[in-house]
Amino acid sequence: MNPRPTLVVTADDPTPPYEQLRRQLVDLIRSRVIGPGDRLPPLRQLAGDLGLAVGTVARTYRELESAGLVHSKRGGGTRVVDDPPHLSTSERQRLLHQQAAIYVRHALLLGVDRQAAIEAIQQALAE
Amino acid sequence: MGGPLVVALLAGTGLIGVMIALLARMKPRSISDVGVPDGVTRTTAVWRWGGVGAGVLVSGVAGGSGALGRGLMLAAPLFGLCVLAGVLVGEFSVRPPRGQTRQAVVEVRQVRDYLPRQLSRAVITAACALVALLLATTAAGSPDDLGRAGRGLFRRCSPTSTEGHGPWAGSFYSFPLGIVVLVGVVTAVLALRQIVRRPRPENPSGLIVSDDVLRRRAANAVTGACGVLVTIPLIGVSLVTAAGLLSITCRPVSWTVTGWILIALIAPWLVLLGWSAAAIFSPRYRTRAVQGVS
Repeated sequence: MNPRPTLVVTADDPTPPYEQLRRQLVDLIRSRVIGPGDRLPPLRQLAGDLGLAVGTVARTYRELESAGLVHSKRGGGTRVVDDPPHLSTSERQRLLHQQAAIYVRHALLLGVDRQAAIEAIQQALAE
Repeated sequence: MGGPLVVALLAGTGLIGVMIALLARMKPRSISDVGVPDGVTRTTAVWRWGGVGAGVLVSGVAGGSGALGRGLMLAAPLFGLCVLAGVLVGEFSVRPPRGQTRQAVVEVRQVRDYLPRQLSRAVITAACALVALLLATTAAGSPDDLGRAGRGLFRRCSPTSTEGHGPWAGSFYSFPLGIVVLVGVVTAVLALRQIVRRPRPENPSGLIVSDDVLRRRAANAVTGACGVLVTIPLIGVSLVTAAGLLSITCRPVSWTVTGWILIALIAPWLVLLGWSAAAIFSPRYRTRAVQGVS
């Protein structure tokens, strides 16, 4: 069994927490890590886990619903729609390069050399 | 109201629990405990055992007070209530993340994932039996010879003679018992909700760890406390009711049958009582290993 995906909210990020959550959930849904029909965590549970207000998580879920990625049913929770927009191969590559560029920039800011940055990625992949 | 019997049941329950707890300590630590921060394990355990200790004290005080056996009748439910309160406070003591970076696992946690299925079904059955029995005894109760409502059972044997028996588990006993059991059920629901909702802890490396084993342990204790809360009064009320029904010489056949059925059911309720005590005193019992989150 693969480890379950995690959501991360950074308090000192200028992006509002609901938007941080929305972006991560969109990525997880479009890359099918959260599959069609899968249930998202209940509002209060996710808000409690992240130490956020319930309204913040509710706003994220509303945005996802407006984008046609999830649907909410009273008593049935919030689930991913049956056929969410798929992440194309080219888009997946573009996102991977974008994330790699962000990582490299952070690594350079830390003052590490090329080899150390590559080893850190290899170590993270091995974990 | 069956005083010596209730005292014996309480003492027996404690003895069974201590024996099972000692046996459990001889077993190696479950592999699924690995990774859960000691602080969380310790805090929830301290509160849970604090609830058990407070329950023993409160039930001891209650058992020695209260008019006409009311205190003794409430001793066991109050013990269960204290255990539930201990679990509830322990679960609330696990604080949500406060750091700059907060993490959550994408998962749906539900109460049924953590409840011990067979024990919870058995406890629900016992609770339904207690409610049905109390409704029946309350409806059948009459004032006793001193006018205390619902403390006697009377049957008109002939137009000129009436036969009676007391004490009877009518409203004099069933109302306070019902209130304590209701408070216990509400506390159990709150505790189970908090067991599910509280955030997952992080290890010193900042990674979220699976603490499902702790949640199952707490849910076991909640179910066990509900079992004690319901079963001891059920046994007591069953015995008093059976004694009342069978003591009336002009009783109909249905009373005889009901009385003997109540006596026959004491054995399974005793088994459930031992099972519930085991769940409280040794909540590691039969906890399943779980996959770590990270």
